[in-house]
Formats: sequence, C-alpha cells, structure tokens
Amino acid sequence: MKPARRLLDVVPAWLEAHRDAGRRSLQRRLQAPVLSLISIAVLGFILALPAYLWVLLDNARALSAHVDHDPRIALYLDGVEADTVAELERHLETDARVERWTWIDADDALANYREGMSDPGLLDWLDENPLPDVVDVVPVTADPETVAALREALAATASGATVVSDDEWVRQLNSLHQLGLRILAVVGALLGLGALLILALATASELRERREEIAISRISGATHRFLRRPSLYGGLITGLGGGVFAGILLLIGIGLSRAPLEQAAAAFDLEFALAFPGADHLLTLLLTGLLLGWLGARLGSGHALRDAP
Amino acid sequence: MIYLQRVTKRFGSAAEALSNVSLRVDPGAMAFITGPSGAGKSTLLRLIAGLERPTRGRIRVNGHDLDRLSNRAIPGFRRSIGLVFQDHRLLFDRPVFDNVALPLEILAYRRPEMRKRVRAALDKVGLLHKETVNPRTLSAGEQQRVGIARAIVHRPVLLLADEPTGNLDPALSREILQLFDDFNRVGMTALIASHDLGLVERMGKPVLHLENGRVEARVAGEGTA
Repeated sequence: MKPARRLLDVVPAWLEAHRDAGRRSLQRRLQAPVLSLISIAVLGFILALPAYLWVLLDNARALSAHVDHDPRIALYLDGVEADTVAELERHLETDARVERWTWIDADDALANYREGMSDPGLLDWLDENPLPDVVDVVPVTADPETVAALREALAATASGATVVSDDEWVRQLNSLHQLGLRILAVVGALLGLGALLILALATASELRERREEIAISRISGATHRFLRRPSLYGGLITGLGGGVFAGILLLIGIGLSRAPLEQAAAAFDLEFALAFPGADHLLTLLLTGLLLGWLGARLGSGHALRDAP
Repeated sequence: MIYLQRVTKRFGSAAEALSNVSLRVDPGAMAFITGPSGAGKSTLLRLIAGLERPTRGRIRVNGHDLDRLSNRAIPGFRRSIGLVFQDHRLLFDRPVFDNVALPLEILAYRRPEMRKRVRAALDKVGLLHKETVNPRTLSAGEQQRVGIARAIVHRPVLLLADEPTGNLDPALSREILQLFDDFNRVGMTALIASHDLGLVERMGKPVLHLENGRVEARVAGEGTA
C-alpha cells in the first residue's frame, strides 16, 4: 500500500502530481473552450474597469506633480499702510517658512508692462498707475499645509492686502485624487468580490461535472487537497487569462481615450499627454487576476467538497 | 481483519437497514455475504469500507476503529481497501489505463512505477491489450474486469466486492470469482456480496446470509466467525 517513499522520490512525485493536475485542468478547459473563455472574459471585463480608473488617476497625479513644485504666495499691497508694510518686511525676514521674497514696486511693474506692449502709448491714457506694489514670497517647502499656514500668517500681518497662493488648485487636485483613490478602492473591492463569487460558482459547477470521478477518488482514499488541486490550477489558468485579457482591454481603452482627453486638457490650457499603463499596472493586473482565480477556485471547491463523506 | 460487533445501521427514520450484525473475517480469509436484494449486503460493505457510519455497534477493520475514525484519517484508511461495484463505476472520460491508474495517482506513485503496476493489474484480468481504449467500448464483463484491476492495482490488504457478477452470465461470473480466489491465494482478504447462491456455494467458502438486515444463517469456514 505504501508507495515508494524514499525521500528522493517524494519531491518528484509531488511535482508530477501537480504537473498532472495542471495538465488535466488545462485539457478539460481546451475540451470545453467556450465556457472557460466566458469565465476568462468575465474576469477580464471586471478587472479592466478599476484598472482603467487607476491608470487615469496615476495620470492625474503626474499632472499635479508636474505643477507641484515652487508654490508662491503673492501679496498685493493695494492701500496698505506704510507701518504695516514695515511690519510685513520684518515678518518676512524672521519667518523660517520663507525661503526668499521679492519686492515688486508698482512703478517697476508698470515699466515692465510697458516694455512688453506693442503700443505703450495706451498707458499714458491712465491717470495713475493701476498696479499695486507686490511682494512675491517663495516658501521653503511645497507642502500644502505649510504653505497655507504661511499664507494665513502673512495675511494677518499685512492687513488690507490681498493674499493669493498659487497652490490652491494643486490642493484641489490632490483632494480630488484622494477621492478618486477612495472610489477606486470601493469599486475595486466590490467588483473583486463579484468576480470571486462568479469564479467560485464556476468552480463548483465544474466539480459537479466531475462528481463521479470525485466519488471514485474518495473511495480510493483521495484527500480534499488532492481533489481540489485541479480546480486550483483551473482557477490560476482562468486568472491568468482574465489578467491578460484585462490588460488588452486596458491598453485599448487608454488608446481610445487619449485623443479626447488631450483635447479636453487643451481646452483648459493644459499640456497633457495620457500615458499608457506601465509594467507596474500590467503586472498588478496579472497578479490580481491570478489571486482572484485561485481564491475563487478555493472558495468554490471548499464549498463543493465539504459536504461529501 | 474485519470485526463487527452488534452493528445496527438506520437511515433517517426508515426501518433498520442492518440490525445487530456481528461478523469476523481474519486476515487472509475469503468470505461471501448472500441474501436477496434489500437484505443489507451493500450497506454492510459500505460500513466496512468506511463509506457509512454505524448507528450503533463497533466496527474494526484493518486495525482501525471505524466508529471512532476522524474525518482526517478516513482517506488513509480507504487506501488500504479495494472496492468493486456491480455497475463498475468506470470513468468514461479517460482510457482504461487512466481508470486503473487512479488509486496510484492518489497515492502519488511516480510514472514508471505506476505504468508497471497498472500493466500488471491489467495483465492479471486479461485486458493488457485494451489499456488505451475508452472503457465505454468494452463489454460488461470487460468493464467489470477493469473495475477489478482498479480495485487491486494498489495491492490493498482487503478487497470488498458488491455484486461483482450481478450483470454477467454464469461463465463470466465463475471467471470473475476465480479472479478473486487468485487474489485471495496471494494473501488479500476478500469479502464478496452476491445474491447468486448456487455460484457462492460452489466456491466452498464461509457465507453470511442476510435477510431484512438480520443474519439468517452462517456457513462457517476457515478464518471467519
């Protein structure tokens, strides 16, 4: 009854058993290709949607990183008292959050402006200089919270001044990105659970088709582990196929979205090229497919095999 | 090898399929269970194979107390047993060779050794030349012999057969029983259920006769009680 249990035989026998289970599982799928292709397609569609969202979000983050550096705070000192200006200068000198600052005199600014005009004579029609004195502040860091705190501190000192920081829309983009990530996590989790259940059902129905083989194998002393092994390989095959199919769908989807997205970006005066998914995206897709396939098969086979004696 | 003490089996609220059956089969013995259909022969074999659990009583087979055997220990126990069914229960999605190889696959035999043993078992039942065909194309007698090859390929210590000659003509039936006798001669304990009283009597082995789940008569013989 004992097989040749020499130590040197155990590992090759185990490998052979796995190879046989994998081969048999593949053969069964090739014999009924339509059903297995449907499983693969379902998994592919389910994986492609969150993957598409993910690639878009990564692109959006790249866009915000692009403009993220060197936020500035501008103080427009329109109608600010001379005392306040002096106080502001002391503040700028002492605040550690200030990297450097520049005073842009209203007259210099107007002169600058005049140089850039095609018909400078137009400015002579103005009674007085409409431009305010401006302080241009560069903070030491791009961290949105530090910049916001500095902006508020400067606004408190320079009462009456209009204080504007150009990191506002980056902050908005960041919070949108966070929201996008949250939506991606929820959508991904729900779709993943759905995929898991579909794959478990497919595995259970496949095991029902094998029930005579399973009954005979049980009588011959087969363990659960042995009986579910082909199903687990089947799950890995479906997962691999689903991951590859999802990758193809993703590439097509991004390819089709590039032109309209770039046009939309151009309408907002943004220079933006939608990047194709990278190796990290495609590899994650493949691994997620394999994991879902394996888990689904384990879930389905565990349920289907548990009841029998 | 087999020891039953006042074993009762009841399915749900139905009448008792087996009532107070006691039986002993020593290692190396060969014995028959007879009785009309519905007498409890199959139930008795299924209890001994660990496919059912007794409602009451003790069953000890090959050193295992089956009424106390844990679910985890059942596969290991079943590997020491060969089972033959009246309806063969062959798998028609694979050739004869793969059908016979199934118990060896479960035991994780390596390919060369597996091939050797499967061919030896098929040779024993006279079907070596059919190893590559689908069992669906075989006659009933040939299918039964494939089933027997599958039951003995892993050299079990105990061979249980449930009406192995049920669908066969008398000549084929004698042939099949002769096969069991051969296996018994090389040390395999055998317990065979059959309703064919004449055939069983000619074998000259101990017999347990069941009627309505009760032991009606015993023909004593070597190695049984």
